[in-house]
Amino acid sequence: MDTKTILDEAKARFNHNSAKSYLKDKYDSKFIIADQNGLWRANPEIINFLNYSSDEYVILIDNFDNPVKVDRNILLIKLSNTYRSVMEEWYNEWKELESKR
Amino acid sequence: MSRGALLFAFNSPKYNYYDMAVATAKRVNHFLDLPVTLVTDSESLPVKQSYQFDNIVMAPADKSNKRDWGLWFNKGRYRAYALSPYDETILLDTDYMVNSDKLLKTFDLPTDFCCHNKTSFLMHPNLPQEVLSIHSFDTLWATVITFKKTTRARDIFDCLEMTQNNFQHYGNIHGFVSSTYRNDYGLTLATRIANGHTSPIEDYIPWNLLHVGNNTKVYRNDDSEFNTEYTVLFDHWNRGKIRKEYITIKNTDFHMMMKDNFMELISE
Repeated sequence: MDTKTILDEAKARFNHNSAKSYLKDKYDSKFIIADQNGLWRANPEIINFLNYSSDEYVILIDNFDNPVKVDRNILLIKLSNTYRSVMEEWYNEWKELESKR
Repeated sequence: MSRGALLFAFNSPKYNYYDMAVATAKRVNHFLDLPVTLVTDSESLPVKQSYQFDNIVMAPADKSNKRDWGLWFNKGRYRAYALSPYDETILLDTDYMVNSDKLLKTFDLPTDFCCHNKTSFLMHPNLPQEVLSIHSFDTLWATVITFKKTTRARDIFDCLEMTQNNFQHYGNIHGFVSSTYRNDYGLTLATRIANGHTSPIEDYIPWNLLHVGNNTKVYRNDDSEFNTEYTVLFDHWNRGKIRKEYITIKNTDFHMMMKDNFMELISE
């Protein structure tokens, strides 16, 4: 029996809250990258900091609460790319989910 | 530097863990591109094998454990360190459904040992984290453990053996029911002991382990061998009535707590 038939027979309703929560869990993990001996989460705050700093090397506290000296440009590129691609993926899956309303 | 996955599979009267391990190994090969070593015993290993593991390590099962649904041969996980042929190993439960390459990230973490300390349940977004008891620690999860061959990782597995052998004693101290041995509880205690009674944040995989738990059933959206899209159906109990709810998921790893459902998912 295919899943559509199973859902029809069960008269099941799509649960948006659970789907939203699942998506958050799924994509939260994708923002995390390891680079230059530190663990980072790609978010607007760290990307903005790296973007506005002019030093070649900066010291940041990573996700494990360790201070890590990093090449600013390399980390900026990696985090920006990660943020952009994950947000796009998340947005597209969210739109797909919204269409089930 | 060799990398691979390690699975333990000891058949119980109720469940064929060997079959689960074959299905999981195929997905590990496909999504993670890693070889898989199986730890099993002669009773679980079929005469005719349809799948070629990278290695098969024969080790006797400790059959002294049981849980509500019957015998459960989960003891001896501490042997993973000694039995793994790889420099870097992902030790997985056989009922972990690999649907992505996410686990490869655990190799990049700046640590020699990590496991999950946080979980989420599909269809139960706000469930609290499990604890050993209200007087004790948050539970760590032995479902996924990535380790390197270092002295510290060996110490943790040595402590896991010690906590397994003295499980009742630790149950008394921490106030949990010790009649059924759980690797999760053993691991929670072992990592703390090996780390000088601290809990280094580096030992934790930085995302949640996704469980599929009670009243939840997962269906494959298509019958291809490496399907990654599923429909999750949930019985929502409210004032004595069931309301059926569902979501669809894709490209997401999850841990099936309901073994019967896992067996259905992997059946041809």
